[in-house]
Amino acid sequence: MNRLSILIVSMLVPLTTLADWEVNMPRGVSPTANAAYDLHMLIFYITVVIGIVVFGVMFYSIYHHRKSKGAKPASFHESTTVEVIWTVIPFVILVGMAIPATKTLIMMEDTRNSEITVKVTGYQWMWKYDYVEDDVSFFSKLADSSNEARQLGSKIDVNKVDNYLLNVDNEMVLPTNTKVRILLTASDVIHAWWVPEITGKKDAIPGYINELWVDIKEPGVYRGQCTELCGKDHGFMPIVVRAVPKEEYTKWVSLNQKNRVADKSK
Amino acid sequence: MSANIDHLKEEHHQPSGLMRWITTTNHKDIGSLYLWFSLLMFFVGGLMALVIRAELFQPGLQFVVPGFFNQMTTMHALIMIFGAVMPAFVGLANWQLPMMIGAPDMALPRLNNWSFWILPFAFTMLLSTLFFESGGPAAGWTLYPPLSLQGGNSMPFVIFSLHLLGASSILGAINVIATILNMRAPGMTLMKMPIFVWTWLITAFLLIASMPVLAGAITMLLTDRFYGTSFFTAAGGGDPVLFQHIFWFFGHPEVYILILPAFGIVSTIIPAFSRKKLFGYDSMVYATASIALLSFIVWAHHMFTVGMPLAGEIFFMFTTMLIAVPTGVKVFNWVATMWKGSMTFETPMLFALAFIILFTIGGFSGLMLAITPADFQYHDTYFVVAHFHYVLVPGAVFAIIAAVYYWLPKWTGKMYNETLGKIHFWMTTIFVNITFFPMHFVGLAGMPRRIPDYAVQFTDFNMIASVGAFGFGLSQLLFVYILFLTLRQPVTAADKSWEGAEGLEWTLPSPAPYHSFDTPPKVD
Amino acid sequence: MTGIKSTITKLSLAVVAMYGFSYALVPIYDTFCEITGLNGKTNEVAYVANDIKEDNRFVTVKFISNVANSAPLYFEPSVSEMTVQVGKPYNTHYVMKNNSSKQLHTTASPSVTPGKHAEYFKKIECFCFNQQTINAGEVKDLGIQFIIDNELPNDSGDIVLSYTMFDISNNIKETNKL
Repeated sequence: MNRLSILIVSMLVPLTTLADWEVNMPRGVSPTANAAYDLHMLIFYITVVIGIVVFGVMFYSIYHHRKSKGAKPASFHESTTVEVIWTVIPFVILVGMAIPATKTLIMMEDTRNSEITVKVTGYQWMWKYDYVEDDVSFFSKLADSSNEARQLGSKIDVNKVDNYLLNVDNEMVLPTNTKVRILLTASDVIHAWWVPEITGKKDAIPGYINELWVDIKEPGVYRGQCTELCGKDHGFMPIVVRAVPKEEYTKWVSLNQKNRVADKSK
Repeated sequence: MSANIDHLKEEHHQPSGLMRWITTTNHKDIGSLYLWFSLLMFFVGGLMALVIRAELFQPGLQFVVPGFFNQMTTMHALIMIFGAVMPAFVGLANWQLPMMIGAPDMALPRLNNWSFWILPFAFTMLLSTLFFESGGPAAGWTLYPPLSLQGGNSMPFVIFSLHLLGASSILGAINVIATILNMRAPGMTLMKMPIFVWTWLITAFLLIASMPVLAGAITMLLTDRFYGTSFFTAAGGGDPVLFQHIFWFFGHPEVYILILPAFGIVSTIIPAFSRKKLFGYDSMVYATASIALLSFIVWAHHMFTVGMPLAGEIFFMFTTMLIAVPTGVKVFNWVATMWKGSMTFETPMLFALAFIILFTIGGFSGLMLAITPADFQYHDTYFVVAHFHYVLVPGAVFAIIAAVYYWLPKWTGKMYNETLGKIHFWMTTIFVNITFFPMHFVGLAGMPRRIPDYAVQFTDFNMIASVGAFGFGLSQLLFVYILFLTLRQPVTAADKSWEGAEGLEWTLPSPAPYHSFDTPPKVD
Repeated sequence: MTGIKSTITKLSLAVVAMYGFSYALVPIYDTFCEITGLNGKTNEVAYVANDIKEDNRFVTVKFISNVANSAPLYFEPSVSEMTVQVGKPYNTHYVMKNNSSKQLHTTASPSVTPGKHAEYFKKIECFCFNQQTINAGEVKDLGIQFIIDNELPNDSGDIVLSYTMFDISNNIKETNKL
């Protein structure tokens, strides 16, 4: 049994130390993603401590109270005091977890005072982005290089494909340091929109509208995927968000508005 | 498991050969049928898991197209839940309940025969859909509309087979409750029942309450697809999210149906090999009952991302976290049972100990998943896959294996080979962790579940998981070999096969007679 | 044996009751949605505005449109945004065009976000109360008259009203066949 304990401990340790092996949730670049990360680490450490205590007692008992060491069984088999203690203590720990979790949840659900609104629509199997105030609209689907490589028997080395399965033809562009309200819906079946470093996921449901908000603090390219099974190509409809400073974003909008106007006249 | 030949001779009207098994109304025969059937389904579902793991061994598609991959994930879940774990528990209930409560047989023997023989037909129908031109079900075992409404011709067949499985489970549950409530030996009050009987009684009530709800949900799917109703389509004023609510109203109790009997098994084995009474019997019963009751008010934690109102999210987060309290009580009671015991580590005990540790790890990840804001990140990733495999494989499946090793001498009169049993345990435990532990990592790093192909940064851990899965599969062939060797031996096992074993079943000879207790024993 | 019989009877009744309960969940869910604004469901029949008082507050309403299953329809709001006074009725409309070469039957599903504000968004008249028939190439204006309830809490943000237009021509054909 000691081997088992070593195995388990050795598997828990990398969670915190081997960051380059991608064993943990990425730190976020927005208030909501960061709050989720902090909560995740908090609960994780609490469970690790509880685990060490409970398994510690258990392994102590397994080592010392074994028949081969001449242990004689005791006869106790109930104690109301002990039962009450180990009902109350977990309850108190849970309350301690629930308070920060509830605060975070309230913060996440508050979409007021957003500066721009983007409607995201899930399709089998691509995304459509509509910038509600700015009249920009486009589809975004898996990049051709990935799409060719992912076919059964393609013989293409996927390790050499640029951001295999996480690259799109048209990136979603968002301004940094701006509260953006994202409205989610779908055309056909349920999809879910998720970019881990920016925000948790939310379902895109046909006929109904959901919302979440993001406020990206650092420029960069952030990648995510559809996270609700939506048919055969569910694994092949990535999300790429390019966060740029506000001025650059304004330029991008004016450039793409023209395209849109041209499109409409067709 | 099938060594009742001596006792069979006493039965003058019993047909022999295949007809014996088809017409049997004996609880031991039916228990054996359930257990063998479950083992078969465990391998069928396991093969599907290996198809999945083979495809996920490296990025890029090597073996199957995405559509078939989705059929594999869907079928793997349905087969393992309804074909492997549930029938195994019913099989154990059939074998053990009459012996444990001092009854001659189950209360409703003919119904018992029916509830088993529905299963092979239902699974034949379910599996046959894989050979349809449009393929089998591919919308996940949760059958979420509108995706499941898009499915091919398989859909009505899948729904009909689920109806049959539900009917079988309900009949089985009625039988269990009728047996436990009416056929206990004189003097065995409810609070004197063995803990395994208690957990099964509560499980049976969960089945009665939840299976009809599943039947309703899938019937609505069927009428939406073929009879123009629109329960779940927005076009007719319906709502796809409604299905998720109804489904998980069944689905969460179902999760506990898959684990409560396992709690009962572990609560039987730990005291036996600690040579000490179960600590806190009463609190174990109350904890089980409160877990069962809570299971009806936590369902929406499976769907935190559908866009519930804030109050709903907070409510379901709190109720879900609350489940940690009775579950914690159980773990603490098991540890307290071991404390100052006199432990030995035969194979059933090893599996029970591994159950406690690995199930608790699954419980920890469950607690993390209960935290709604964090769940927005975990939801539908491999972190969830890791979580529920930790509670189902080293949880439910380990408990079933432990139960088989523990009661095998009682059933057959033959003792398994302890060395091989231990090898089986260590291989299974090591491989189960190699398979499922890395899934936590890829899940947290952002790999969604139910995808046939993945971005290259997830490769290393997926390779490790796939190696583990094949190792786990091979280890179970050793289990079959051990069973085979055991059954070929002569009858040598003692009536009380384990020094510390308690309960009425150990007062019977080994192997147990065809009719367990013709005259009810006295319990004081 | 009577004990067993009564157990079976009770349990069978429980099974039937739970099956019925699964269907009862449908209206329960609808009521629950109305109370909590789950999924942003709005009133499905015309609202008669008699006890709503005008108010000095103004809110912004954004209009969004979707076409389900990529049906051959152009469907857009005539204005994408209105700032409206609370408690005062307003009119606006959506434009729909049939881009196909045959007559289509359509129906719209409304949804309001944030969901908790759905109950304050009252539709006095709405095209979503009825189905539409639109000929090939035809352009239609689809009107709405709405009012924001003065019970709307302060500090509410923008309200988004979304309509998803479904082409239900196939369903209608099938029903006619039956």
